[in-house]
Amino acid sequence: MDVEICLDIGGTRRTIQQAFISCCEQLLEIALLLTHESGQFLRRLWRGSSQELAPKCQEDIGDGTMSRSQDKPTKSAQTKTTGAGNLVGEGDYLRHEQKVETQLPRLVGVACGFAKDQIIHSQYNRGKFGEDAWFMSSNSQAYIMGVADGVGGWRNYGVDPGEFSMFLMRSCERMSNATNFAPKRPELLLKRAYCDLLEQKCPIVGSCTACILILNRANSTLYTANIGDSGFLVVRCGQVVCRSKEQQHHFNTPYQLASPPPGHDIKALSDGPESADTIQFPMQLGDVILLATDGVYDNVPETFLLDVLTEISGIGNPVRLQMAANAVALMARTLSLNPKHDSPFSQNARKLNIDASGGKPDDITVLLATVV
Amino acid sequence: MSLLAYGEPAQSSDTDSSTAAEAEADALVDFTAMLQRQRQGEHGGWFGYDSKMQSTESNQGYYLEQYVLGVLDFSSQYGIDYSISYTAANVVGRPTKFPAYGDYPETFPMRTYGDWWQRAPSATREIQPQNLPKLETHDYVVVYFEEFVVPTEVAIFETFNPGAVVRIWAYGLTKHWTCLWEATESDLARPPSDSRRFAPALKKTTMVTKTLRIDFNHSRLNYYTEIDAIMLCGRTVSKTQNLLAKQQRTQQSRTLVSPPPEVIGSPPSDGTGGPISYKLRTLKFQPNCGKDGATKLHEFINNDLSQFLAANCMDGGETPPQICLTDLPFEILLRILSYLDLKSLFRVGQVSRTFYDISTHPLLYAELSLKPYWHVASSELLCTLARRATMLRKLDLSWCGGFGNVSPTEFKKFLTQRGDNLTHLRLNSCKFLNASCIENVGIVCDNLIELSLRNCATDPPLLNFSCLANLKNLERLDLFQTYFETELLLSMLEGNRKLKHLNLAFCGVSVNMDNVAAHLATYNTQLISLDLWKAHFLSARGLQSLARLHQLEELDLGWCLREASLGDGLFQLLSNCPKLKKLFLSAVRGTTERDLMHIAALGKNLEQLDLMGILNITHERVYDILVHCPKLQLLDLSFCDNIMDRDFQLLADWSRQFNVDIKSSRHH
Repeated sequence: MDVEICLDIGGTRRTIQQAFISCCEQLLEIALLLTHESGQFLRRLWRGSSQELAPKCQEDIGDGTMSRSQDKPTKSAQTKTTGAGNLVGEGDYLRHEQKVETQLPRLVGVACGFAKDQIIHSQYNRGKFGEDAWFMSSNSQAYIMGVADGVGGWRNYGVDPGEFSMFLMRSCERMSNATNFAPKRPELLLKRAYCDLLEQKCPIVGSCTACILILNRANSTLYTANIGDSGFLVVRCGQVVCRSKEQQHHFNTPYQLASPPPGHDIKALSDGPESADTIQFPMQLGDVILLATDGVYDNVPETFLLDVLTEISGIGNPVRLQMAANAVALMARTLSLNPKHDSPFSQNARKLNIDASGGKPDDITVLLATVV
Repeated sequence: MSLLAYGEPAQSSDTDSSTAAEAEADALVDFTAMLQRQRQGEHGGWFGYDSKMQSTESNQGYYLEQYVLGVLDFSSQYGIDYSISYTAANVVGRPTKFPAYGDYPETFPMRTYGDWWQRAPSATREIQPQNLPKLETHDYVVVYFEEFVVPTEVAIFETFNPGAVVRIWAYGLTKHWTCLWEATESDLARPPSDSRRFAPALKKTTMVTKTLRIDFNHSRLNYYTEIDAIMLCGRTVSKTQNLLAKQQRTQQSRTLVSPPPEVIGSPPSDGTGGPISYKLRTLKFQPNCGKDGATKLHEFINNDLSQFLAANCMDGGETPPQICLTDLPFEILLRILSYLDLKSLFRVGQVSRTFYDISTHPLLYAELSLKPYWHVASSELLCTLARRATMLRKLDLSWCGGFGNVSPTEFKKFLTQRGDNLTHLRLNSCKFLNASCIENVGIVCDNLIELSLRNCATDPPLLNFSCLANLKNLERLDLFQTYFETELLLSMLEGNRKLKHLNLAFCGVSVNMDNVAAHLATYNTQLISLDLWKAHFLSARGLQSLARLHQLEELDLGWCLREASLGDGLFQLLSNCPKLKKLFLSAVRGTTERDLMHIAALGKNLEQLDLMGILNITHERVYDILVHCPKLQLLDLSFCDNIMDRDFQLLADWSRQFNVDIKSSRHH
């Protein structure tokens, strides 16, 4: 499906039909995947009871390489229950059940998303939806997750905007397994990852927004750092109890970490990692965390999101979580391609007298996690 | 003393070390052979099951493969420590890149490669070079694992430019280092050009270890070597065996430390077949050794002697010269002994009282380097040397004192006794150093010309304000990867007007390099070399200050200017410093086409030029530089986005045509 066509012809019967058909296709694929996933899950549960899986997962977490045997790259759909999601869920689940520290909260997380342009990004890469990138990891001290949204404007300079965000998230992931990881300093993680990016021999050019969450196991407090307009919501009992602050220079121009190509350093916006907005928030059992890029928040009204998030409170089953994440992502995807939809984005635009009706086609990344 | 006690056969790379022991006929022969027999007996019982490791019973321990758990120490790394790219910590865990070959940030490269650093104006000479083994160690990394094992295999995953590993050491329960493997010249002769899992045949041993040290020699490398992971394989030991092995080792080591008196009491007869004459025979036809000698006293006698010995040898054909060593005058003997390495010198002292007297002469200890003996350096050795080295001038204690073998108190005592005449002091990677040691250096060694404190990063910084403010004669100051307080550095720069070489690579983020540059330009106008590799943070203003150092021959600005635009700083630098031989601009992303034109126009004396990671370099500019810089030998164009694989042939042609070593990255 091509987004450009949708924008051009805007609202003719044919495009809506096309959109509908492709959505149905994707739904079907998701359904297929889910049956596969649940099968896998059951099988693993069986094996888990004979204590075979737990040491394997431990090992995988230890060296930072996540197994993703359950990924099926042959499918063209971009929705996957990824290895990371499962590991955060089941691997730790099994481990913790065997130990006594059951009173500590644990985080079950899954990811889902769509690239804006499915033709360019037809190949599924783990941790990446178009120009968005994400990661989830866990160590003995904390659960860590993050998203980054590459700024698309760099494409005009011959730069792949996804590279910057992807590298930043990979660095965060690797650093979350390093020995000097600070479980209460997400902004430090972000800063280190950004510095690491600047240390590359092969220069990585571009910019991105980023949002990092750390759930500290010791005091079950959520520590967050946010730059730009990606963000998170914490939902408790049907209410949003904590949310990130959106940072914008002006409309549709968020704060961003940047490494501009030489000669552009004056023109380009670059907000250092120190401009990150940090929040501490004590978590409780049953809280739901949604971490998503602006592709979700710009298209899906918050009431819709609340409905889904309230429903999954306290659910520790990764398969059901995955279904919810898929629902949010699909909702965002469908609405973003609907030229008639009165999206939050267009509402904001209207307030500033900018004409931008309909959904805002964008890369969509949804990370969903529950505290159980 | 201990140098004798741990004197292993020099050719220990030979797996069959009994032959090695024979080759070096000395007092330890019987003893070594005895040990050997004992070990072989153990191997029969223990290592016989190697192939079927699964079938062994649990109380025998089981076969285990483990990856690095953590890095204890390293001498240098390419990346900076707050980053995870190109740092030593990347050897931890499983290989992340292994079968792939290329320049990856997820691996561990070291700071240098080839002999380019030895050919730069800032190159230093080794102190007491006769101590160095044939394949000297340039860099090392010390890693530890989770479980104690009896090592049967050590595998090193090399993912870029393999072939730098020269030695593998293991640290046993008895707190001694044992060399498990040593490379020979032929091992390094043809480095492969693909990634490899390097697992050389180890010396058979029963020692139990979980700590390894890998030594690297970069001299044959074409570019940075990169290590992805290190694996230690071996049999774990059950608790009882663990204890047994421990007991055995302590017994053995006890005998090693104090050999039975009858062994030590039977010296080789008159040096006809002993190690001294052996050494002499190899040494006398090397007249150019005179440069390395410690004393200039008897240069002319030396020339006479070598002629005399040569004549004597020709008369007798194969037979050794018919004079007794002790017939020679004292001065000549002293001269001869000055060629000996420290270990041999200690051994010579055991021959007889005469030799003891000669071998403890202070002139032989005017220059001391324990760096090649880092594994045996201890407080006791320092104590012994303090008695002998009353005329100490140059001291190199680099790499010594790990695991608490040298106490700071002992070092301070040594320095107080013998430090007042010191001109050269190198304390690179000395783990025992603390602030009061450095304070002592500042107070006692006020004649220092060279002070090298590489890789002494501690928290809080070792070098806080005023501890070295006394030094006024420094010509070389090396603070590579050592944190210091800015005020101290600025006052030292102000005090040492004769400074010629300064290395501030990897200095902490707290230092404002623009201030340092301004100070340098004001006070240290004689500066010849300056290394600011990954020093944060120099701006175009600082670069303009540096342009006032007219004597500069070497300038390393790698990674320290970052994205800042250079203005006309580089032009000023090049036009004001015509002697510039080495210019490193690695990842100075603000370099523009105009800057490159300036390099071509003004860099007449350039020999080494590094343009790694600079965007938008065109072929025309590269060609310009090649044409206009006739002395150029090294040109690094890795990761320059316009110069890629497809140009490989062109670069190879240019490399031949201009006789320049051009480095370029090949993406896979």
